[in-house]
Amino acid sequence: MASKWISRLDERTGIVGVYKTVFDRKIPKVNWWFTLGSASLFLFSVQVVTGILLSVYYVPSPDHAYDSVQYIMTGVQFGWLIRGIHHWAASLMVLVVFLHMLRVFFYGAYKYPREITWVTGVVLLLATLGMGFTGYLLPWNQKAYWATTVGTSIAGTVPGIGDFILRALRGGTDLSAVTLTRFFAAHVWMLPLVILTVIGIHLYLVIRNGISAVPKDHE
Amino acid sequence: MSELETDQTLQINVTRKRSPGTTAMNEEEKREYQEKYRLAKLHGEKFFPDTIYKDVLISFALFLLLIGLATFIGVAPEPKADPSDTSYIPRPEWYFLFLFELLKFFPGSLEWVGTAVLPGLAVALLFLLPFIDRNPKRHWKNRRFAAGLMSAIVIGMVALTIRAVVTTPPQAEATVAGTLAEQIVAGQDLYAVHCVECHGADGEGGKIQGVQGLEGVTLKPINSQDEMYTRSDETLYAVIELGQQTLGMPPFGRAYSGELSPGDIESIVAFMRYTWDDRAEMPKAAEQASTLPVLKPGETPDYATHIEPVVKRYCVSCHRPGKENNNYLMRTYDEVMNSGDHKPNIVPGNLQSNLIRMLRREEIEAGGPMPPSKPLKPELIEMIERWVIAGAPEKASGPATK
Repeated sequence: MASKWISRLDERTGIVGVYKTVFDRKIPKVNWWFTLGSASLFLFSVQVVTGILLSVYYVPSPDHAYDSVQYIMTGVQFGWLIRGIHHWAASLMVLVVFLHMLRVFFYGAYKYPREITWVTGVVLLLATLGMGFTGYLLPWNQKAYWATTVGTSIAGTVPGIGDFILRALRGGTDLSAVTLTRFFAAHVWMLPLVILTVIGIHLYLVIRNGISAVPKDHE
Repeated sequence: MSELETDQTLQINVTRKRSPGTTAMNEEEKREYQEKYRLAKLHGEKFFPDTIYKDVLISFALFLLLIGLATFIGVAPEPKADPSDTSYIPRPEWYFLFLFELLKFFPGSLEWVGTAVLPGLAVALLFLLPFIDRNPKRHWKNRRFAAGLMSAIVIGMVALTIRAVVTTPPQAEATVAGTLAEQIVAGQDLYAVHCVECHGADGEGGKIQGVQGLEGVTLKPINSQDEMYTRSDETLYAVIELGQQTLGMPPFGRAYSGELSPGDIESIVAFMRYTWDDRAEMPKAAEQASTLPVLKPGETPDYATHIEPVVKRYCVSCHRPGKENNNYLMRTYDEVMNSGDHKPNIVPGNLQSNLIRMLRREEIEAGGPMPPSKPLKPELIEMIERWVIAGAPEKASGPATK
């Protein structure tokens, strides 16, 4: 009965072929270090879900940002849990993505035919750091305000274009309401879209080329 | 590919050797790799369920870890952003600490090397790694230079991070009111310190006594219904932050050379609103924390439980550094017992102590009636008297030693 429905569905969607390509495939025997990639993906999904929930109550303006986060922590059912998970998963994601990069490096997995997979991975690593940097400002607390003040002024020391970068990041000469909305837009729209797109390419390449094998002594 | 074609490509490749500039491997090496990979897959496992089972297990473990971290450590409370607070030591999130620390090695005019050149170089190298590293070997033992370089970089990053953590001075402790009740209680304490000397302990106003520059000025009450109904939180905030200089009220906001942070002022506003505005309902938790302790019959009063809340609300506003108080400070038990030009102001067991006589509104050598404008409620004076008779103990156990 079930197989009949599946074959009817497959006739119209090609779902069986997708399943075979993605799940029903042979790959080399790999060790536990190879779970870091899927762990990164999992943490990203956690950030998407908790981030969307936080955006229900969060208000990106200097007058209300701090209070809205305060309200999430004390007034919203399980708000403390959602924000706590978002907070910790951010740190954990940077760590796991970095370890994933090290695993790929030390196994030489960025070599033929996976060069492009590596390049997309570097984009994802940088975008993850970008998420950390922009998300840090959003609670609009002391730590956030001053870390971003210093962080953006560091960008301002780049020779030639430093002043332009500084103004582009802050939306003016000083940290202000414009900076907050800018970082908010980057944190919930621009960077997530970049990450989602590049994760798509990254996964396509991983499935197309197959996961790398653990190199042997002589390789 | 037909056999003939295969042979031809093989021949071409054998003669070509490794061609620089295109890729790390020549065609033969590529084919060799693909063949090995095919064999590895042949002797490998199924992605579903063999591999994915490990992935799911690790992700689930991470999920439990996250719930544990969120529940048992949580997110450290931080005060609201305060652009006027220049004493705050900025520090980035932990994973940027190494960069922060790296900059210290490039002082002054060399700063741009640390901020632009090194990070830029690192990112460029990272992107170009597969095209720069032409070594076809994959095992780290056959890539000593690459593996060594990356190890050195990672160790350097970890070392810089540790150095940053060790060398950064700890942040000055700041109390953060999380819930509304905490905010109200914090606001009450701040009100007692900063506002009581002019506005009175309950916002009743009246004639100011003992405040430099404002001696004898009469203030209207700020706790009335009129006052509360016509002043929004924003107005109250602005009045505290900026003062009302033509009326003699100085600015209290830190940005205007006062002592209060934005969070402090918000707490005071919350305290005023929930205590005096009959439309706002005081949260239960704040009510309990802010009511003064009542002495039960037969109970021995002690400083921590009974006296400190009274002192905090009625005395500290003037009896703190920088005020006219004959150097009698009352911020801690020790100060209450042992400070002042006329010390001791409290002699355990002696109802003729300066403090008791002044509370009873006697004019003595140490000074006049206290608090200057309005006597304490009789039951509070009685509680303090019983405390002095009991030997002025600091905590519930045993009399004072001094």
